[in-house]
Amino acid sequence: MRDPISIFWLAPAALLVGSPVSGTTYLSVEQAQHLLFPEAQMTAHPVTLTAEQAKAIEKASKTRVRERTLKVWSASNGGWFYLDQVIGKHELITYGLALDPAGTVRGIEILDYRETYGGEVRDPKWRAQFVGKRAGSPLQLDVDIVNISGATLSSRNITVGVRRLLATHALVVGKS
Amino acid sequence: MRLLSANPETRESPAIGQRAQPWLGTLVSIRVAAEPDLATRAMGAAFDEIGEIHRQMSFHDPASELSRLNTRAHREPQAVSARLRRVLSVSLALAHATGGSFDPTIGRRLVEQGRLPAPAGDASDPDARWHDVALERDGRVRFRRPLWLDLGGIAKGYAVDRAIACLRRQGVASAVVNAGGDLRSFGPPHVVWVRDPADPGRNLPLLEIGNAAVATSAGYFNDHPPHSAIVDPRTGAGLGDDCSVTVCARRAIWADGLTKAVLADPTGSVALLRRLGASAVLLDRNGGRRHLS
Repeated sequence: MRDPISIFWLAPAALLVGSPVSGTTYLSVEQAQHLLFPEAQMTAHPVTLTAEQAKAIEKASKTRVRERTLKVWSASNGGWFYLDQVIGKHELITYGLALDPAGTVRGIEILDYRETYGGEVRDPKWRAQFVGKRAGSPLQLDVDIVNISGATLSSRNITVGVRRLLATHALVVGKS
Repeated sequence: MRLLSANPETRESPAIGQRAQPWLGTLVSIRVAAEPDLATRAMGAAFDEIGEIHRQMSFHDPASELSRLNTRAHREPQAVSARLRRVLSVSLALAHATGGSFDPTIGRRLVEQGRLPAPAGDASDPDARWHDVALERDGRVRFRRPLWLDLGGIAKGYAVDRAIACLRRQGVASAVVNAGGDLRSFGPPHVVWVRDPADPGRNLPLLEIGNAAVATSAGYFNDHPPHSAIVDPRTGAGLGDDCSVTVCARRAIWADGLTKAVLADPTGSVALLRRLGASAVLLDRNGGRRHLS
């Protein structure tokens, strides 16, 4: 082992306080596009679905189309980038889907993740009280998703969203 | 008095980059401290590794290596990748050490409860258990009866370990990888939060880790009522509906697997936790807290 294990259970007193999850912003639209299409120029390709198209997509993907205005970019190498949002019971996720020219999934990047429940605002005083619990350097108390251990929500909503976008691409955007 | 700018750690601390992608049925997020080019390269390599593990160990994908085992390994021994062999070997060791309170043949129960799709081919023998899985000397895997392996209780931990190894090799200064509650990090200490079992919308600061892995299991996000989110492989009974267990260990694969063993039998798990240098905390809905090991 390169390093010894280093852990420190925090005092139970600290457990009297809790922080609601707000969420994490991972990437901007430009950053996500650059990661998924590092070599390509992106061109906005605005699409508004007709009621008939939306209905056809719902039928093909077995999921609701909530938004008929699509955020789509075409890449100079023939690929496509979709910016989409899925709303679950507890969360709101903004993600980017990259398709290669043949319309198959090239990659998915999460841009933003918000948990939409909890949300209770805590007295900021508790932080100060907690920081003093341990000698040495002050603790970093930023809560974002990467620092939370414990049953996270499933990625099922994203799977459903991707299914909807693949149907959208096959039936509308990839045909144009 | 010390001037802030005179602190070399402050002046030279590299940029923080973070990304998240959906893999292994959850969101996997990675945070690293590194210069932007290195951060992009290192996180890209780590996500590639996680994607590969997802493709090899998916129960849902009929083309995965795991699905090939589930449909064929009771007929003839199957060659497997080094990754799958490693996960199976740790799974069987945990199953042995816990007397089956962790058991990778749990696929049958999860299919019965409608939580996993039934694989093609022969149905799992209801009496099949972990000891019906044989790792042959030549590296192949053989089932002594038809059975359905599911690695959902341990593959995320393994993926986190591999991603961390990848980030270290790439030379980032510090990193955290979190796959749906299975988390491992290296670098300066940081606080790890867990959801409050009484109100999973809130988080409690539970421990501080530097180089270590933490996993939490609990039943509070349940996609499949009336069944529990976590199932005792020995009985099919639900576990963790009103509490959570957090295990801290050197490797995420151990922490991930151990959470299920601790939920099934807290007192009986103490010896194993100690043997692996691990420790655990149970939190209940009433604010109760119990340390093991």
